[in-house]
Amino acid sequence: MPYLLIAPTIAVLLALSIYPLFYAIKVSFQTGTGDAVRWSVANFARLASDGFFLSALAHTFIYAAIALTFEFLLGLWLAVLLDRPLRGRTLFRSALLIPMMLPPVVVGVVWRLMLNADFGAVNGTLKGAGVNTEALTWTASPLLAFASVIAVDIWQWTPFMFLVLLAGLQAIPQEPYEAALIDGSSAWQTFRHVTVPLLKPAILIALLLRTMDLMRVFDQIFILTEGGPGFSTETVSLYIYRTAFRFADFGYAAAMSFVLLLLTNIVSFGYIRLLQKQEAA
Amino acid sequence: MSQKKFRLKGWSKYVVLTAALVIAIAPVYWMLSISLKTEVDQFAVPPRWIAFAPTLAHYYDAFFARSFGRYLVTSLTVATLSTICAVTLGTLAAYGLARFKLRAGLDRRLSMWILSTRMFPPIVTAVPLFLMMRDLRLLNTITALVIVYTALNLPFVVWMMRGFFRELPKELEEAAMVDGDSRLGALRRVILPLVTPGLAATAVFCLIVSWNEFLLGLVLTQTDASMTLPVGIAGRVTQYEIKWGVMSAAGVVAMIPILVFAMAVQKYLVRGLSLGAVKG
Repeated sequence: MPYLLIAPTIAVLLALSIYPLFYAIKVSFQTGTGDAVRWSVANFARLASDGFFLSALAHTFIYAAIALTFEFLLGLWLAVLLDRPLRGRTLFRSALLIPMMLPPVVVGVVWRLMLNADFGAVNGTLKGAGVNTEALTWTASPLLAFASVIAVDIWQWTPFMFLVLLAGLQAIPQEPYEAALIDGSSAWQTFRHVTVPLLKPAILIALLLRTMDLMRVFDQIFILTEGGPGFSTETVSLYIYRTAFRFADFGYAAAMSFVLLLLTNIVSFGYIRLLQKQEAA
Repeated sequence: MSQKKFRLKGWSKYVVLTAALVIAIAPVYWMLSISLKTEVDQFAVPPRWIAFAPTLAHYYDAFFARSFGRYLVTSLTVATLSTICAVTLGTLAAYGLARFKLRAGLDRRLSMWILSTRMFPPIVTAVPLFLMMRDLRLLNTITALVIVYTALNLPFVVWMMRGFFRELPKELEEAAMVDGDSRLGALRRVILPLVTPGLAATAVFCLIVSWNEFLLGLVLTQTDASMTLPVGIAGRVTQYEIKWGVMSAAGVVAMIPILVFAMAVQKYLVRGLSLGAVKG
């Protein structure tokens, strides 16, 4: 009986998650197309000497590290501010969540409009305030473009950190705080020694989930810069996409996919371990 | 802490929160305003945030003169069908995993395995899925999208519903079964009504994911007849940069159902986003 209930789901996942994975393994060991297909490890050998791949990897890590740091700190700050009852709290909470809910493609459109060098709201507002915006071409210059895509990520995903951490804060009981108050702890000491340790599970979950998503980032960058100018905002996902669907080099794309999968697996393993621990508790 | 210091703190709190609020909302409002502005107002410097004469011309242009209406219908169809499939299959599996002890701890292992399939970055499966759909001659079909989005949402449904089922005491079905119900009868008559709020929230999450999904849609559909709204928008954004009004109108329409949905599942948002790891 239970097997009958579970079987359809297992079948679908085998066909559409596991089979593709093996299919990708097969393709990654092939070079050439049609009748000229040859089996080799050339695709994997190529990875180490491919400058584009290595720089895409570097971009992904830098992007993830910076975005994660800001999203976490800003999210925590906002969560602490909204933890206590406060007039307008529901309004603030709901409104702050909007960026996170938007379709990523819409986020791309929104920020294309905001960051347009000539008519965007950002430069328009700066000009209105008397700032010279000639050098602020945002998505058109390599360094600014990289900063822009990170800023957009922070804009969109700080709400996620905020939401999860706020839920974590609200789940902390009152007693430890009362004890800290009696001990005469300062606000900072209480935060450091009561809040942070009790919030740790929520912090870990939030960090792990965000890290996984950051490592695969694709949508907003695709819309905002398509990896450009040059290759300045190209992440691993974008490079794989380009390799497979612009240059039709499926074997090499599959090989790169495995590196990405391996890297995200390390993070997701941590996440699953945490979940298991919680299930056992 | 002195009274004065406390008041100052309250003030600064509101300043920070209001700033955050403006930063979160203003860009979205800007897109909304562009979609309602004539071209003259769109390109005004300094930007016109409030004072402009609204027009619906861009919406007409996008959804009737251009193909966005078609993409919208595709998006609605794909999101609805894939959600129905994922919720049906996933709920049954979740019930099986929540209520039965399988041999060798298989129930827990299967749950973890199902969860782990959700962790694959979409680009990893995009390449083989494209090749598979090409071999099956399903590229540029709504069928392909429904199948792929069903698989995308299944692990999520299983985990969410498993959590909801486990919160209900086993005695409920046992009592119903003593009264002569079959297992499935008990599930339908006793358990499902109790998990309806959770089921509805789970379905809404699936709708959001299918509606927002971009990468797999981009890979699997290239024709006007088969693309979803995000894929259609992306194609146009890179094609004609200058049609700001059309782009914004399409963006606003893509955004509105999501915001409505999100408000509907606020209560379950944290649980949904963390796959039950944090119970908000």
